[in-house]
Amino acid sequence: MSDSKIVGVDVGGTFTDFVSYDAAAGTIENWKNLTTPADPIEGILKGLDQVNDLQRVDKIRLGTTIATNALLTRRGAKVAYVTTAGFRDVPFIQRGDRRSHYDITWIKTKPFVKRADTHEVNGRLSAKGEVVEPLDETSVRNVAAMIKADGTIEAIAVCTLFSYIDPSHEQRVRDIFAEELPGMPVSISYDVLPKWKEYDRASTTIADAYLKPIVSDNFRRTHKRLQALGIADKIGVIKSNGGEATLEGAAEAPIQMALSGPTGAVVGTRVLSELTGIKNLVTFDMGGTSTDCSTVVDGKEHVTTNFEIEWGLPIQIPMIDIHTIGAGGGSIAWIDKGGMLRMGPQSAGADPGPACYGRGGENATVTDANVVLGRINADNFLGGKMKLDAVAAHRAVKAVADQLGLEVDAGAYAMVQIANNNMLGALRAVLLQRGLDPRDFTLVASGGAGPVHLCDLMDISGIPKGLVPNYPGQFSAFGFIMTDARVDRHRTVQQTSKFFDTARATAAMTELVDGAIGELVAQGYKQKVEIYRSIEARYLGQNHELEISFPANAFDDATVADLWKRFHEEHHNRFGFSIPGETIETVNLKVVAVAVSDRPKMRELDKGKGAPSASGSRKVRYEDGWHDVKTYDRGTFKQGHTITGPAVIEESASVTILRPKQTLSVDRYGNLIISA
Amino acid sequence: MKFSQSGLYIESYVKCANCGVLIYESSAEDASRKKVHDGQTYCSQECVDWKIERDARRSKATA
Amino acid sequence: MDFVTMNILESSMVSLCKEMGIVLMKTSYSTIFNEALDFTCGLADMNGDMIAVADFCPAQIGGMPLLVKSCLKEIPIDEIEEGDVILHNDPYRGGLHTPEHTFFKPIFVDGEIMGFAVAIGHIAEVGGMAPGGFCGEATEIFQEGIRIPPVKIKKRGEDNIEVWKLLLANVRTPRTNYGDLRALIAAVDLGEKQMTQIYKKYGKQKVKDTVNDLLLYSERRMRAELEAIPDGVYTFSDKVESDGIDADRVYTIAVEVHKRGGEFIVDYHGSSPQAQGPINATLGVATSAAYNAVLHMTDPTIPRNSGCFRPIRVMAPPGTIVNVDFPAPEVGGNTETHPRIVGTILGAMAKAVPDRVMAAEGATHCNFVFGGVDAETKEFFACYDLEAVGWGGRAFADGNDGVDSINGNCRITPVEVYETRFPWRIESLAFNVDAGGAGQYRGGVGYTKQMLCLNDEIICSQMTDRHLLAPWGLNGGTEGGLGATLVQKNGVVAMASRPSAIAWRLPRMSARATSPRRRP
Repeated sequence: MSDSKIVGVDVGGTFTDFVSYDAAAGTIENWKNLTTPADPIEGILKGLDQVNDLQRVDKIRLGTTIATNALLTRRGAKVAYVTTAGFRDVPFIQRGDRRSHYDITWIKTKPFVKRADTHEVNGRLSAKGEVVEPLDETSVRNVAAMIKADGTIEAIAVCTLFSYIDPSHEQRVRDIFAEELPGMPVSISYDVLPKWKEYDRASTTIADAYLKPIVSDNFRRTHKRLQALGIADKIGVIKSNGGEATLEGAAEAPIQMALSGPTGAVVGTRVLSELTGIKNLVTFDMGGTSTDCSTVVDGKEHVTTNFEIEWGLPIQIPMIDIHTIGAGGGSIAWIDKGGMLRMGPQSAGADPGPACYGRGGENATVTDANVVLGRINADNFLGGKMKLDAVAAHRAVKAVADQLGLEVDAGAYAMVQIANNNMLGALRAVLLQRGLDPRDFTLVASGGAGPVHLCDLMDISGIPKGLVPNYPGQFSAFGFIMTDARVDRHRTVQQTSKFFDTARATAAMTELVDGAIGELVAQGYKQKVEIYRSIEARYLGQNHELEISFPANAFDDATVADLWKRFHEEHHNRFGFSIPGETIETVNLKVVAVAVSDRPKMRELDKGKGAPSASGSRKVRYEDGWHDVKTYDRGTFKQGHTITGPAVIEESASVTILRPKQTLSVDRYGNLIISA
Repeated sequence: MKFSQSGLYIESYVKCANCGVLIYESSAEDASRKKVHDGQTYCSQECVDWKIERDARRSKATA
Repeated sequence: MDFVTMNILESSMVSLCKEMGIVLMKTSYSTIFNEALDFTCGLADMNGDMIAVADFCPAQIGGMPLLVKSCLKEIPIDEIEEGDVILHNDPYRGGLHTPEHTFFKPIFVDGEIMGFAVAIGHIAEVGGMAPGGFCGEATEIFQEGIRIPPVKIKKRGEDNIEVWKLLLANVRTPRTNYGDLRALIAAVDLGEKQMTQIYKKYGKQKVKDTVNDLLLYSERRMRAELEAIPDGVYTFSDKVESDGIDADRVYTIAVEVHKRGGEFIVDYHGSSPQAQGPINATLGVATSAAYNAVLHMTDPTIPRNSGCFRPIRVMAPPGTIVNVDFPAPEVGGNTETHPRIVGTILGAMAKAVPDRVMAAEGATHCNFVFGGVDAETKEFFACYDLEAVGWGGRAFADGNDGVDSINGNCRITPVEVYETRFPWRIESLAFNVDAGGAGQYRGGVGYTKQMLCLNDEIICSQMTDRHLLAPWGLNGGTEGGLGATLVQKNGVVAMASRPSAIAWRLPRMSARATSPRRRP
């Protein structure tokens, strides 16, 4: 692919971001286009018009919001749910807990299926997978007849008890439905995610069926449109695990697309790790309404199956573990009933937006506070493409500051401090709450607002290093051009160290590996496939697992003994104690298969020395008052340049505010590396 | 070691006859607030007053 | 008041409490901890005031201030040293019930004690006459397991081995308990370590002042909420149908709420004398339940700390079902009587704030405890299990179906986990669709869990309520349905459980326990 081009496309709420890489020239370009929410493909095609020779493009990778939006706005298909006799109420009983304590107004979360559309079939497996009662095929055909008679059902979700041990009942149900209800999309829980805990598995399977008609239809239409342009086979859709799949592959398992776009920043950060040699990074992707944080530890993204699309509705597919909070540049300042200043979660959004956008917004937002403090230059927002109304920002901030009895600049500073503290909560969630020490990490800022707050967050979080990548405003799309095709497969195979059946574990692991490779090959990914195996285990009786890598191909006495040893060590590292000799329970086997793409080669900057020349200066407010601060244009930076704070570094889609005494250096690829 | 009057256990408190809070013998703060009324121990004058008020209110209601 | 520092400090402390909880959840052994999340982590100052807490178990949140204060009265401050960890579970010293173990670790900054990191957790097995601590037929505390007054389980950073030995010799599952105790200690260690850093970062005096302001702030907001409720004296009562010992005796919970300006006083005088059986509430429970009720009626965004509780007073006469005297049993007071007290207070306040209350909810945790020797593996097993119930109907919406009762926020155990661990087959889990209680907004419904015994023998014990007396409706809404525990032997219903607290033995393959739980 040495003379080829890769294009990354990230469809956002307001803008669709494009990043393209030209291998021949070794250059990266980026541009934006308005999103067309009614039919996002319009905006995508319009943006692709800017690519000179579309036929020369080797790959177009697409972050998609179709699945996420359909789930969030509850515009999916009418689903029928089919399960083991006696258990049709499981999606409604759920886990029995409440969203919050003390909320008498709470209404329990509703699943993506109506109770009237739930059906039971006879047939039962035991916890060991023995057939207690064979599948009663007549009961299955009866259910099919009811669904047919109903006439409104658009997709079916099947989840029977213990199917993660033996999927034969579910598979037979699917085959019968294929005979009785030809053309009806059917999702079975074994295919979606063969892990134990029937509610979580049912919820995920129902969501998959809920999405199938809409997402599949959309992808098929997209495929057709692109076929006309001759580029349909070049499209890769980004999955929630940060890997790509073909359009057809994605249409088969739409739930894999539940969280697509936000993964780009994490994949981009993993690539930064490869480029810079920095092993541990934490992402800080701050946009207008929300902020996403995630980690790359030892050069790897953290993948989780603990995700809820809304409270109480688990979507348990392997996805990059991204913690999102509703705080961003648009978060609104307000005074609560006790007189305390709060920021968000209400957001001014894109329209009317912060007061400084001059579109009629009256509320003071984080962005307005940044304008008042001189951190954002009203005349150079989005590289001067959008002029901000500094007077409006001042007026809005003053209205809140007055209520607090603060001067306007002190009020603005308080707003930024509180916003920073809210974002610190997200960083704590991905670091301290997972037992990771902030002092071992580098904080990577992206999104338009990320670099503005990066240096403050380093200061309050104790993260000693920061990094501003190139194109921080389009970092997700950048991540897409760097990604691989990737399949994550998990399965529950519950055993204990006391009675560990190595043959059973080996057989299950081999099946997972074969399945994952098969899925990649079926989608046409023929390049070198790398396999990573791991096991989720815990002390018998515990309920939360630690993931232990399992580099060997097969389970035997030696590899298993090593596994137990490493489990005790990991438990000690993570929680400060281990219990040698204790029985260990293995719960899930996990396999990741990656078809590794050729990495784009990044161009290096010319060498420079000392400080770059300043472009000017302006007044910026820090906690100890106003400073006269030099400003720099990032476009003039050369590798090896260094700057000592305070300083302001401006670029087209963002601005970095260096604090006093912090130092910045430019690495060979143009990344800004900041040290406390 | 301090044993209770019953000899069964080692508590060293009595309960306020009105609100039920524990009044510790060893606590100077508890000792300074506690009151004895009609042979019963109360944590504070407030509780004595409350008891008197309640008795009056309830006897009026039943009268 | 420095509102900016207060905001930052408050959220830092709450996230710290959450991080303590996550350590606990991930390392503990009992299902009741790691699946049902029956624990709480918090921070306290030198007065024993709770200054921050994370949202885990509501019953324990309200109980924390009294617990810490009682312990501080028993162990003089000058005897507490850096690195000590104090353990306590005594229901007669501010505790909630015997299984609830409280751990305190002093926070020292430059040699000066500033406060405590606190973790409270439900330990599933505590000894006593039945496995799992929930014995329906106990008539004294000694049958309910080991009672621990405040003792140092760690001294100056070292395990106090004598205490460990005593503790673990008195329970059936020392291995599990050891893991759970270690997990609780890991939680307070984390809290102590991180809070020390917070004191160092902001300065001791600054944190102290800001925390005082924070408590005042919460108090001020709580008073403002209470002032908005019409003044008056509001009364209501409800009945607990049995204590498990005397099937014919009914117990009254009576409340008289005096709402005066920004004050909320709950007087329980008129409640029944304490029961022989284990349904008695301790003072900690009666206090926590009043706090719980008030928090349900007020703005949920008020930072949760002792400041919120200052406007609330509780009068719980000694020797009654709401303030048990030694040595009566009390384990069910925390699970069964607590929600009944909350419901009774909400019932009283229905006249004042009709849109902030609900009709009677299930108000039981359907406590089901079982154990035995697995016929296949020959290993001992024991489990404390609970089920969800229906919420009461509300003036604006139906009651929620299948939700944990109001004083817990526990999750139910998945069928696939249950059957993997224990020799039962769950045959169905189905809503009792007609049991909600009719009305413009119906009550939520509970569900029936039908189980088949697969072992030679399983010893069961249960404690639940509302098998005889139906939950009440509000504003003309009708009563909800009743619950039942049915045991079927060889296809015939052999025992319909009339007493709601009982123990029995189930022989293999011939018995079937069904427990419909119907709630308004």
